[in-house]
Amino acid sequence: MKMTKKDQNALMTEFASLFGTGHLKHLKDRGQDVVECKRSGATFIDADGEPFIDCISGRGIFNLGRRPEKIIAAFKIAMLETDQGNFPMISKEKAALGEKLAGFVPGNMECTMYSVTRGEAFDFACKLSRGALSRKGLVALEGSWFGQTGFALTLSTRKDKDDFAPLMPECELLPFGDSEKIREKINRDTAAVFIEPLQAENHCREPQPEYLEAILRRCRETGALLVMDETQTGMGRTGRKFAYEHFGVHPDILIIGESLGAGIFPIAATIFPQSLNAFLNEHPLIHLSTFGGSDLGCTVGAAALDEYARTKPWENAAKIGAHLMDGLEKAAAGSKEIISVAGRGLLLSLELKTPAKARAFCKALSRQKILADTGAVAENTVVLRPSLTLSKKEADVIVAAVKDLVKSK
Amino acid sequence: MTDIRPNEPTKPSGAWMLTPGQKKQIEQRFGRYINKGQIRYLKAGHLDVLETVREGVGFTDPVSRRRFFDCFSSAGSFNVGRHNPQVLAALDSALDEIDMGTPGLVSPWKVALAKKLVELAPGDLNRVFFASGGGDAVDGAIKLARGATKRPVIISTIKGYHGHTGFSLSANGKEHYRHYCEPLIPEFKFVPFNNLEAMSAVAGEDTAAIIIEPIQGEAGIYVGSPEYLSGLRKMCDDLNILLIFDEIQTGFGRTGKLFASQHTGIVPDIMTVAKSIGGGLFPNAAVIYRDIPLLTNYVDTNPEFHPSTGGSDLGCAVSLKVLDYLLENKLSENSAIKGERLRDALLQLQKENPKIIKDVRGKGLMIGIEYLHEFMGPMMADALAKNGVFAAYSGNAPQVMRFMLPIVVNDKELDEVIAAIRAAVKDMKTILPLALPAAKIPAVLRLLNSEKVQTVLFGWLRTIEDGINALKGVGK
Repeated sequence: MKMTKKDQNALMTEFASLFGTGHLKHLKDRGQDVVECKRSGATFIDADGEPFIDCISGRGIFNLGRRPEKIIAAFKIAMLETDQGNFPMISKEKAALGEKLAGFVPGNMECTMYSVTRGEAFDFACKLSRGALSRKGLVALEGSWFGQTGFALTLSTRKDKDDFAPLMPECELLPFGDSEKIREKINRDTAAVFIEPLQAENHCREPQPEYLEAILRRCRETGALLVMDETQTGMGRTGRKFAYEHFGVHPDILIIGESLGAGIFPIAATIFPQSLNAFLNEHPLIHLSTFGGSDLGCTVGAAALDEYARTKPWENAAKIGAHLMDGLEKAAAGSKEIISVAGRGLLLSLELKTPAKARAFCKALSRQKILADTGAVAENTVVLRPSLTLSKKEADVIVAAVKDLVKSK
Repeated sequence: MTDIRPNEPTKPSGAWMLTPGQKKQIEQRFGRYINKGQIRYLKAGHLDVLETVREGVGFTDPVSRRRFFDCFSSAGSFNVGRHNPQVLAALDSALDEIDMGTPGLVSPWKVALAKKLVELAPGDLNRVFFASGGGDAVDGAIKLARGATKRPVIISTIKGYHGHTGFSLSANGKEHYRHYCEPLIPEFKFVPFNNLEAMSAVAGEDTAAIIIEPIQGEAGIYVGSPEYLSGLRKMCDDLNILLIFDEIQTGFGRTGKLFASQHTGIVPDIMTVAKSIGGGLFPNAAVIYRDIPLLTNYVDTNPEFHPSTGGSDLGCAVSLKVLDYLLENKLSENSAIKGERLRDALLQLQKENPKIIKDVRGKGLMIGIEYLHEFMGPMMADALAKNGVFAAYSGNAPQVMRFMLPIVVNDKELDEVIAAIRAAVKDMKTILPLALPAAKIPAVLRLLNSEKVQTVLFGWLRTIEDGINALKGVGK
């Protein structure tokens, strides 16, 4: 599907009139005013017929690459038989994916609540924590980005939060890295503590293992639950199945984002142990989702989990990620433009001087046929999170482009 | 009672039948990995059936082989019918080309769907952003209202239902859903529905938005009167308050018009849609808002205020076909015509059974029956299930049962549904002589109306019944 320049312009104009000129400008500023046509693996072809390397991956959705064949095939078979189903009902698809997730996730978390998007999965984790513990306090590590819904927004670090105020009460941010504050902020009123093992939107900042252990210890002392949001870091992204495995700290509740649906179906999940499910057994159907736990979505999720287990994309993420990191560090070493490179596996981040420079860097990358986005918390960063199927050759193309950009400045 | 109803599945039974043992295995897995309490709850109301051969207006229980009319439709998600072949074909061919696509980017599918939505939406509802589902859409709408007006207060209605995410739950008018999650977002106020005076007493210069369902669904099917809706419109205009219509359940033909607001011609400032836009196959949702500077300026300066994985390319391809199908087959009109027939039949039933049915309400194929007592809701669900009608009592009002058939229903199917409801009322009359005298004692009535007692009581009756059936050698 190629489009003439004229047709592309007409599409952009129409987009602006329906979604807003600000939205189109936001895209143009980052070189994201491209149209994705044929999609495959770590790449897509734009409307000019040019191949792009996708370093956004839908913000961590396309871990298995664009349009993974086996998942599409499984979806097509499921479609012959079934539909999304009546949401409150028992179904074999919901049960089967739940069982698979219990086996896939390290630790003893074996119960699942399905959602359609990460914010919903996060909000449910907040509600479950409050309900199960009969406590109100929710604490998040400062610098995180959890989503757009009410609880997720309240506990995220973002500038426009006041626009929507007042937000959720009894929610607090834990100043990052400040061990002294742990005791004060996490106490016997705290239901749960929320952490992204790597703050993807915040220059991949990660807590020191000792700091994370201190948080966990305090959670154990007070009875507060530790919740890991692995929407961006999970499903192999950082070189392990889940990023918390790097730290040897296991959460009480795990949030898996849309990578569960492999970019074919929107499905997210909150995973927790039986001890917490006791609350939901007592109060069934207290949290509902029409689209969450769709029988089709569960079938896609189950096929994706099989594919994750079969291909172990975290191994490639670790290997190619290290290669990419090495190349980027070398490129950054000789440049005034890039201050630092951070991240793990195929979740990497370049630090630039200002948000404007980060936007311009994305735009320049786009001219080199690499689609990337700025960090939502640290706006002076460029996040590189390609598909976990990225080849060494494709990684080299990314490095070459970055080198070229740095040199040409 | 025959097992197979004329609303028959087209597939040979071998492909989908399950033995009771196989069903038990599924239940055990579901209980362990998803939730046990849910099974207990569904069993009490005879709603613990599995859904197979999902076609047209119903599905088949793979164990009993009983065909069910789907009068729940996943709370109004199956307007184009279960497993609609034309929508499926659109999804199938989209799957040959695309995936969800990168959220936020320009795509022909997003633009085409947004264009179609604003064409069909009333008045100057000309701008769109997508959301992942109903709750996310409501969260987006409330954020837009607060962000644009810089005012804090959101007024919702008692028993109004808007979802389970942070903002939408804060706007949810039923204590049951909120209780264990509190404290929720402050500055949400609740007033009785269809009551302009109550609204006017609360609405003021600090009010960002009033959010209502033009026809309350979960609350028990209450139709907003034309005077109420126009009164709200005027109040909002006078006080510069944004009017939000949540059309997640009422949209896409459910009430006999494409959108419920079109019955009165009152145009909201913001409208949320979800559920049936996904054709029962693929999640999607949208917020459609008026092309007025207050709103467009806010979105233009804050384009990232509510980005979403909703409005995926696959989702938009499906939704586009859903809209085409609705229009080509004049399903809104069908909903109006069939809805009137169903309502007439239910009103007749009410006349015949004044001790059971208190009221019949609704528009199009969004119809509710209100029983005299709350405990009758679960009892009726049970009686209906035995007669091949899958219907749920309202989450926010157990004495009201919603009938929300897929709006593709034809005359013959509707005749069968009506006959089945009649049969269920007759069946219930045989149990009522036991319950009704007891219900005259206030403490017993309170007990009977308690959801927990019902779950235990009906679960217990169910066990006895299964035992008797086993002895008789019928059923399982």
